[in-house]
Amino acid sequence: MSRQLVPPVVTEGEALTELRLEVRDFLAEQIAARCFTPHVDTWLTRWDRAFTQELARRGWLGMVIPKEYGGQGRTYVERFVVTEELLVVGAPVAAHWFAERQVGPSLLAYGTEEQKRAFLPRISRGEVVFGIGMSEPDAGSDLASVRTGAEKVGGGWRLTGTKVWTSGAHEADAFFALARSAPLDPARRHAGLSQFIVDLHAPGVDIRPIVSMGGEHHFDEVHLDGVFVPDDHVLGTIGEGWRQVTSELGFERSGPERFLSTFQLLASAGQAMMDGELPLDHGLGRHVARVAALHHMSLAVSTALEAHARADLGAAVVKVLGTTTEGDIADYVDLLTASGWIEDEELHGLLHGAILQRPGFTLRGGTNEILRGVIARGLGLR
Amino acid sequence: MTTDRYDLPLVHAAVADPDLVAVLTELFDDYRSKRPAPTEHVRFDPDLWTQLEELGLTRLTASEESGGSGASWIEGASLLGLAAAAGAPVPLAEHGFLAAWLLEEAGLPNGGELRTVCRPDPSGRALNVTFGRDADFIVALWEDGETWRVADVPGDHLDITPGRNLAGEPCESVLFDLAELESAPVVDDSVGQQFHIRGALARSAQVCGAMERVLELAITHARHREQFGRPIGAFQAVQHLVADIATESSLARAATDTAVARAAASNWEDPGMLFTVGVAKSCVGHAASVVVRNAHQVLGAIGTTLEHELHVLTRPILVRRSEYGSVHEWDETLAELATHAGRDRLWPLILTGRR
Repeated sequence: MSRQLVPPVVTEGEALTELRLEVRDFLAEQIAARCFTPHVDTWLTRWDRAFTQELARRGWLGMVIPKEYGGQGRTYVERFVVTEELLVVGAPVAAHWFAERQVGPSLLAYGTEEQKRAFLPRISRGEVVFGIGMSEPDAGSDLASVRTGAEKVGGGWRLTGTKVWTSGAHEADAFFALARSAPLDPARRHAGLSQFIVDLHAPGVDIRPIVSMGGEHHFDEVHLDGVFVPDDHVLGTIGEGWRQVTSELGFERSGPERFLSTFQLLASAGQAMMDGELPLDHGLGRHVARVAALHHMSLAVSTALEAHARADLGAAVVKVLGTTTEGDIADYVDLLTASGWIEDEELHGLLHGAILQRPGFTLRGGTNEILRGVIARGLGLR
Repeated sequence: MTTDRYDLPLVHAAVADPDLVAVLTELFDDYRSKRPAPTEHVRFDPDLWTQLEELGLTRLTASEESGGSGASWIEGASLLGLAAAAGAPVPLAEHGFLAAWLLEEAGLPNGGELRTVCRPDPSGRALNVTFGRDADFIVALWEDGETWRVADVPGDHLDITPGRNLAGEPCESVLFDLAELESAPVVDDSVGQQFHIRGALARSAQVCGAMERVLELAITHARHREQFGRPIGAFQAVQHLVADIATESSLARAATDTAVARAAASNWEDPGMLFTVGVAKSCVGHAASVVVRNAHQVLGAIGTTLEHELHVLTRPILVRRSEYGSVHEWDETLAELATHAGRDRLWPLILTGRR
């Protein structure tokens, strides 16, 4: 029997397709009314709280949060199709991205009743923007080497250290910080880590921009200088941070943001070929084929995760292939494009954005080198 | 994983009958363990064919009225993949999936004799006719002015020039006297394109199966071959070569299974079939480049020898990815469909294959 790394593909039923069309119609209206300009990599680069709150009013936020906590009580595959429709038009989704993808599900899995009641309704209404504080100056791919310390004090914890590459911390109200709550034991590096819900407006928090090479500001350094976190803002169990963080990785790695970051560029390149502004080239077909196959693969993984089937390897496969493909699309269009003569300024803007964002595609959320190692281990090579 | 597991209200999975898959797996594992050492030239295996016939597998997807087993393409694709993974030298796709279907379309009887299939040009010449020398009958599909015709011609009535393809398989040039066949049955206009896309999907299913076996060979070799005092699979550079074989063949599998599911669900009538099969053929074709290249690199010099199993898989992979339309041709087809869809209709095209 051959081994199948990725769960079997599935066909979406009519109810999902109807949901897609509803979201698609709304987005077409928004674009026509110039509520937003389609762009690339918008889940990292475009914050728009008003847009996020409009999604909430339409019932497309807090998708997997139960109704009793103010959410929609829907399934992960429904969230999947809504997310795809938002990403393919390059909608500004960064303001709710991390809350919708990770923070809500983590609170549901590990949060106390009080935490769920405090945060989930506000997440579902788009009223609170969350970030994720994982990486540090000396902890990138090797996340277990985080050094931000959490010291027990009366009534809570004091956090001291520096988080880097925190997406949108300057726009966020709070973030989940992974910190070391017990001294490092070199034999058990994954022990002694804990997750804390940190108010980014609290005393001792200093947020400094990390400016990307194109001059845009998406990332921040977050300095925590003895920031007090009350006991009731510990997420889950002290010392269980590693398990809590890694248990949600499947959804984070396999979602449509791993292959659709440059979809607007691909679609515009096809249009430019139709309009004679770019040469008609067969290479477009190859990239379209890969995006189509990645959609089916990503949906298959999401479905399996929802059915509680193991799909860690499938998720790693989606991320390696998807992030490579979305970057290859940027390079492909660049190879077809002569500088200076493109009339379609929109295509130019998308291309420049994609080229500048591309290096990050295969770094964020676990580099492709790390993920190939994960796949190799799954194949029995390590 | 079974079908019930995905009995969620929002999506449905189309997976092959696990009992049939178990039978096929055992059959082809057994074949692989007993077959003779690889040779330069591949010969049709009549004993295997008889065994497949007795199990009702040679015309698995043909209708029961025509003498087939009436299974869906989902089961059919499993058969093609597992047979290809074993390097089984039998024309399953040609005989059971294409010739049998054409005869049904033409309303011609099928007594189950060994058949292959081809599309002669207007002069009656057909190239690349696999197992033509072994077939009792060769089924031809050709364009006669505005219409398409099908004929079932005994092999001994034909002018057959034997040849070999890159995989060393019998691959002949066949000359038909189309004037003599002018009263052959006319088939529906759609059959010409249908033949092309069915052939392309059958080939995709075969290449997927073969690539999955290549992955197994690469893993086994990387785990057992030792250099510098450790298995070569302990080196990250080698791990990454193998990981890329796995990811590319998985993508090809996802694309192919999607097309197979869509074909089965709509009895090939879904208007998105051309695009969907194109996606499969393109992903399979490009995956083949990586899989074949990386596998030969991992297996080292031993993988290049006649005695080794690797070329029993890699050579047919390269042959079949180019049949029923080259990879380039399918990429062009997809590019045309994509540009005609335009910016706002590209996404619906990707999801459904329809414009």
